[in-house]
Amino acid sequence: MLAVSVKNLSWKYEHATEFALKGANLDIEEGSFVAIVGPNEAGKTTLVSAIQGLIPHSFNGVIRGYVEVFGEKVAEKSSLELAQEVGLVFSDPEAQFTAMTVQEELVFGMENIGLTVEEIDERLHWAVEMADIADLLDKSPFDISGGQKQRVNIAAILAMRPPILILDEPTSMLDPLGKDFIFDVLTTLREQVAMTLIVVEHNIEQIAPLADQIALVYDGQVVKVAEPREFFADSGFLSERHVEPPEVTALAHWLREQRYYNGPLPLKMDEALSISRDLLKREVK
Amino acid sequence: MSVEPTVQPTSIKKRRKTLLGFVPEESIFYNLHPATRLIIFIVSGFAPIWIDLPEINIAIIILLLVLFTVGGVDLSRLKIYLPMMVTAAIFMFGIRFLFPAYESGYIPLQVGPFTVYYQPIFWAFISYWRIFALVFASIFYFSTNRESDTLIALRAFRTPFAATYLMALSLRSAGMFMEDFSIIRQAEQARGLDTGALSLRDRIKLYTMYTVPLFSIAIMRATEVSAALFARGYTISGRPPGKKKRAVYILTLHSFKWLDWFVSIFFILLFVVIVYLQTVHGTFRIEHSPMNHFFYNLVTR
Amino acid sequence: MSGEEVLIQVSKLNYVYPDGTVALRDIDMEIGTREFIAFIGQNGSGKTTLSKCLNGLFAPTSGSVIVEGLDTRSKGIIKKIVTKVGYVFQNPDHQLFNSSVWDEIAYGPRNIGVPENEVEERVREAATVAGIHEEIFQEHPFFLNKGLRQRVAIASILALRPRTIIVDEPTTGQDRKQSVEIMNFLKKLRDEEDHTIIIITHEMPIVVAYAERTVALCEGKILLDGPTREVFSQPNVLAKTFVQPRQITRLGQQLGDLDLPPDVLTVPEMCEIFGETLSR
Repeated sequence: MLAVSVKNLSWKYEHATEFALKGANLDIEEGSFVAIVGPNEAGKTTLVSAIQGLIPHSFNGVIRGYVEVFGEKVAEKSSLELAQEVGLVFSDPEAQFTAMTVQEELVFGMENIGLTVEEIDERLHWAVEMADIADLLDKSPFDISGGQKQRVNIAAILAMRPPILILDEPTSMLDPLGKDFIFDVLTTLREQVAMTLIVVEHNIEQIAPLADQIALVYDGQVVKVAEPREFFADSGFLSERHVEPPEVTALAHWLREQRYYNGPLPLKMDEALSISRDLLKREVK
Repeated sequence: MSVEPTVQPTSIKKRRKTLLGFVPEESIFYNLHPATRLIIFIVSGFAPIWIDLPEINIAIIILLLVLFTVGGVDLSRLKIYLPMMVTAAIFMFGIRFLFPAYESGYIPLQVGPFTVYYQPIFWAFISYWRIFALVFASIFYFSTNRESDTLIALRAFRTPFAATYLMALSLRSAGMFMEDFSIIRQAEQARGLDTGALSLRDRIKLYTMYTVPLFSIAIMRATEVSAALFARGYTISGRPPGKKKRAVYILTLHSFKWLDWFVSIFFILLFVVIVYLQTVHGTFRIEHSPMNHFFYNLVTR
Repeated sequence: MSGEEVLIQVSKLNYVYPDGTVALRDIDMEIGTREFIAFIGQNGSGKTTLSKCLNGLFAPTSGSVIVEGLDTRSKGIIKKIVTKVGYVFQNPDHQLFNSSVWDEIAYGPRNIGVPENEVEERVREAATVAGIHEEIFQEHPFFLNKGLRQRVAIASILALRPRTIIVDEPTTGQDRKQSVEIMNFLKKLRDEEDHTIIIITHEMPIVVAYAERTVALCEGKILLDGPTREVFSQPNVLAKTFVQPRQITRLGQQLGDLDLPPDVLTVPEMCEIFGETLSR
């Protein structure tokens, strides 16, 4: 079953002069991990807001086409239904954190959707473990870093157990260590939880190894969707749209062009290392 | 993952940060339920209104200072209140020097070129200690309780969700505001603004200028906050779909033990007794003050 | 070429925050003319504090910072120091105080007492360099897009004519195209207008592509300070700052046993090395 189906979606914000989305199409399979990339202002945030239902429930504007989540139109669902089915984590760790302690933040969403104290307790412990924030429970938001807050935000949405979780540039405001922690959480989720993950990211290097599919949003449309190795194969197409592959992938691309290498493109360091060793050892001998 | 993303301050590890300062990491008072602590605050904060006797108010202040140490609060932090106490004393007594407010029966005293009267001076003395008993009760509460403790106490008293949530959001925004404010001040200095050298009129203009970036940031943040609340299924009433009452998980973490019952009832009774004694029997009125008798005799000799 | 003259001299600088946090310990460094420097390090390592000491926003707890002959510890020196060292904050919204672009750029010079006719000259000059067109001079900065707001913030610092400009996180949250634009602009400021540029950043590809000198801080101390290539070729020392060099450099470092150099800074460089080795 398709978790998400975006059909010819166009959207213009109320006071904007141009359409932010111009007939975007995207199908996402249940349980898959989709990365959404593309330049700023291309429509990525608009697209994921439309999947979560913020658009059209919370924004005024002109809409054409539609979005379906598990076969039902988003425009026809209530905001509470949407909060339970599609979770959304934003890029600013501060603005999402509205409670005065980590613990309160984690239970806020669960209380809103009407869970009992027992259900809350169970899910709380599970989410805390997934996001690795056990030592932060009692702290106030003024006492923890941006990276830690962001992990709490992810845990807070996770605790609501939405089958679809969207993260919109979750690491853009964090330092490298904070970024690493978030990607660790994403890896844990991908390996241990059966949910559909959609992540908008600029950090291609760290998201590509995790994704089942990468979607490129450019100028209001989804111009390319493919499994990562295939996605990076057409490097000219990507660089025209200001998207660069991971560095080791770019290296392998060049090696292929020079006919030194014929195998699959590496997405991460260990793959690149083994390819390099094979190639160079052959020569050194 | 044992590495913290930020470098911890090397000196202060044993404090928790709040909006206005710090509270101790551990304290004997944390054994009490936040609702009990709020009751203590309300009683200690209002009782001095019914107590004229400076002896008792001074004793309350001394007791609070003792409780500060017992509670693990760093007394040196109270030093910042000394200038305020001195200024208040100068103001309250100084007024009586300039405006003696004579009424018949007042005993005159000659202090240098000033003629003052005993009764108004002593009355200023009483008011001074009463005010500071109230102030210290507040300082004590805010030095041993975080914002979330107050909110938990309010929720325990079944305050409507919308009210407590509004309070919580305001406190959180105030915190974010303060962080932004300090960066904005630095940005102004980086543009050559020397705040020390400004005239009063310019300083007032300056504060209105702060509103420009604060508002831009606040407006942009408001859209983000409302989107975040939407994503967390927030409704203004806080009532979940199909249910009448909202679960309040945070209350399950604090239990109201026998100690809490004991302390709460004690304080509530104490408050009732004080009010009764004062209004019906006038127990705490100025006529019963040993200090008053002592000084009165001194000046009428 | 660069560093002919010492603009900023830092000696035994220590900085302790009012709440007792020790942010900087015994920092010694010199900053010369026409340099392009990157400050790197974890959040909390002291790089932002150090920059604010260079700009006079913070006075040293002990030690000294001398900016073109001016001691930052002197009282009332801020008006003079901002004409030597400019500081552009990460979020342009924290530093836009006025209701028109013109007033915003003019704000700095007016604060330091520049006569109004000269103010006009400076505003036009700064706007030209920053690529801000006359049409938006009367616009309210709030309604401009983020890239333009950043340029207005930079122009308003340029109007003070400092020789050194510190930019806090010029590329965070930007996509590739915007990052390249802003960095090329900073490079132009150094190349054509003779400024010294200091950037505080987490993005290693940016550091490698633009900064000739890199200073790595860790827990308030300078761990490494030198040409960028040298700094990145010491992975063991750099690891203490929790800053990782870019992927391609790490690849080279992990293939050290196959004689790959530890300081490969770009993908084309690596391609060349592979090409050489494999075509033998």
